[in-house]
Amino acid sequence: LKAGSIRPYAWSTALIILTTFLGEIIKKHLEPTNLVMFYLLVVVIVAVRWGKGPSIMTSILGVLAFDFFLVPPYLTFNVASIHYIFTFIGLLIVGLVISTLASRMRARTIEARLRETRTAALYRLSSDLAAADTPESALLAIRRNVGGILGGDVAVYLPSGSEVHPVSMDVDFPPGDSEGKRAQWAFESGKTARNADGRKASRNILHAPLNTKGGILGVLGIALREPGRNLTKDEERLFNALVSQSAVAVQRAKLAEEARQIDMMRQTEKLHTALLSSISHDLRTPLASITGTLTTLLDQSRELDVSGQRELLRTAREESDRLNRLVGNLLDMTRMESGELRISKRPCDLRDVIGSSLEQLRETIGNRTIRIAVPPDFPEVPADLSFIMKAFANLIDNALKFSPADSPIDITVRVSDGDAIVEIRDGGIGIPANDLERIFEKFYRAERPRRIAGIGLGLSICRGIIEAHGGTISARNNEGAGTTMTITLPLDRGRESK
Amino acid sequence: MNKDQGARVLIVDDEKGIRSFLRVSLSSRGYAVFEAATGSDALEKSASAHPDVIILDLGLPDIDGLDVIREIRKRAKTPIIILSVREDTPDKVEALEAGADDYLVKPFNVAELQARLKAVLRRFAPADTTGDVLRAGDLAMDISAHRVTAGGKAFDLTPTEFDVLKLLMSNAGRVVTHKQLLQAIWNKPEDLEGSLHLLRVTMSNLRGKVETRPDWPTRIITEPGIGYRLRSGDSSD
Repeated sequence: LKAGSIRPYAWSTALIILTTFLGEIIKKHLEPTNLVMFYLLVVVIVAVRWGKGPSIMTSILGVLAFDFFLVPPYLTFNVASIHYIFTFIGLLIVGLVISTLASRMRARTIEARLRETRTAALYRLSSDLAAADTPESALLAIRRNVGGILGGDVAVYLPSGSEVHPVSMDVDFPPGDSEGKRAQWAFESGKTARNADGRKASRNILHAPLNTKGGILGVLGIALREPGRNLTKDEERLFNALVSQSAVAVQRAKLAEEARQIDMMRQTEKLHTALLSSISHDLRTPLASITGTLTTLLDQSRELDVSGQRELLRTAREESDRLNRLVGNLLDMTRMESGELRISKRPCDLRDVIGSSLEQLRETIGNRTIRIAVPPDFPEVPADLSFIMKAFANLIDNALKFSPADSPIDITVRVSDGDAIVEIRDGGIGIPANDLERIFEKFYRAERPRRIAGIGLGLSICRGIIEAHGGTISARNNEGAGTTMTITLPLDRGRESK
Repeated sequence: MNKDQGARVLIVDDEKGIRSFLRVSLSSRGYAVFEAATGSDALEKSASAHPDVIILDLGLPDIDGLDVIREIRKRAKTPIIILSVREDTPDKVEALEAGADDYLVKPFNVAELQARLKAVLRRFAPADTTGDVLRAGDLAMDISAHRVTAGGKAFDLTPTEFDVLKLLMSNAGRVVTHKQLLQAIWNKPEDLEGSLHLLRVTMSNLRGKVETRPDWPTRIITEPGIGYRLRSGDSSD
């Protein structure tokens, strides 16, 4: 017997002694049979308070004490009158009946209290789970509740392929291969694995499968904090209830994730459709001009004068350039998307970058005024010259396209806070304020009525290139007219990759 | 111009369309044109047809274009101009290292190709050198007098700048790689970052003197990641 189970018996004995002592004092004034009532009271108290065992003992002890001390002849177990025998038997039977009833009531109370705790625990878990809007927060809610209620550290394992891996784990959950193996076993067998933590002082660990109708979705592991402690039957029942609720939550999170992905796929598909129609439009338009020109020249060359022929050919030439740019942009975008943009940085002279970009655009620029301001002794910038030139040429081309032919373009360079800042300023039509951010998004133009040819890849390619250099790009509208594109590029080689 | 009359050009491309327009445009300019559609055909004709210049597409059906260059280089110094749809710097560098003389990305301007053809042919017949004078576009360099002029205006160049410009002018219209420049002027390897910096600074100073607008150079063109090209004035673009 443990120390805890002896205490009720000691208390019961003490109460009997106290009652007997009381009886000694008042026995001269009362009939002994009436004194039985006091013992009965003690039996009832003990039965209610401590249950069956102590109350039976109290009944017997009470009968013996009553007989010995309070029934004449005193201090013997002999009795003078036969009717005391009935008193004894009565006292014993009443003690037994009351103790049985009282202990049953007690058990029910305990059970009710347990049920209440369990319900509260499950309720808390389910309300936490309901509040969780991501799979991560659901897992956290599971860990916090299960661990908090049962006094343990919790880990949740989810499968990738045929193996489960811990995806969310309390800091003190014993990390180790053996736990992983237990979890795997629980995942495969569908049974709860129990074992002791081999390293730390005998913490008991349980791994229970997260079982749903759709199969086993993962494993929940709990390492009980108190060394040597095991779950009681009731706690185990509670654990199982928590596990099955967790399983439902995990399933729900999984379904939500799947739904999200399907939704995303649908969105992507919509974008692809829009993109395809936009691309086919933009590919076919220049092709149509080229085909038209060539067939005209083949079929009607005699009816056309030389200047007419040249006019047609010039158009075809421009259209083929446009087609080439478009294909180049699509190619760049594809490479950027698949992460194949091979940026290799070397120190670059920004003056050279700007000058060479302008030289690429010589035909487009024509007579336009371009003003360039680069401070003397400007530091070299680590960059991939050919890509950064592409980005600059694209931005300057844009500035030219969206501004009137008689307005100048200003390109200024300065250093600020360890970055080279390049600003390309035009005096053009500007950009609607709420589009300033969106113009760098892919295929942005695809969703807008087109004013000027292009499918909106240029700026997002620029952004991709600049960001691959660890820099930023942004647009703002000028006070007067037009737009300023601001590019920052880190001067420091150490900060280059982001 | 007459020096190119009758120059023999071997066109290597598996695309019939490219070959046919090149044939028409080059024959009309007086070149004798030969064609090959495969790498092995190219290797055979590069020996049998005695071309003065080879225009080579890198994407051939049978042999890798780079191997074709290396194979030709084992036997001959015939100038090779690469045509390719790939515009990545590493691809260009690789072709130039393998022994090609210049590089054009498809689609290209025929005038541009003809300028490149002239440039590589000039290397083997430096007819623009009248005595001790190099000419490219409106630039004239009197080597013995150490004098460079453009339209009557003289430039005051340091000896290094003069040497760099001399190398660019004697290769006018052709790309001159970083490696070639560093080797010839400073006798330094390319892989030292310091030497590339030196080259960039020299080039920037040189442009400051010979360009009308140094912030927008039109004479000395940067070939990103590869080198520099002096515009020859031959190109119609």
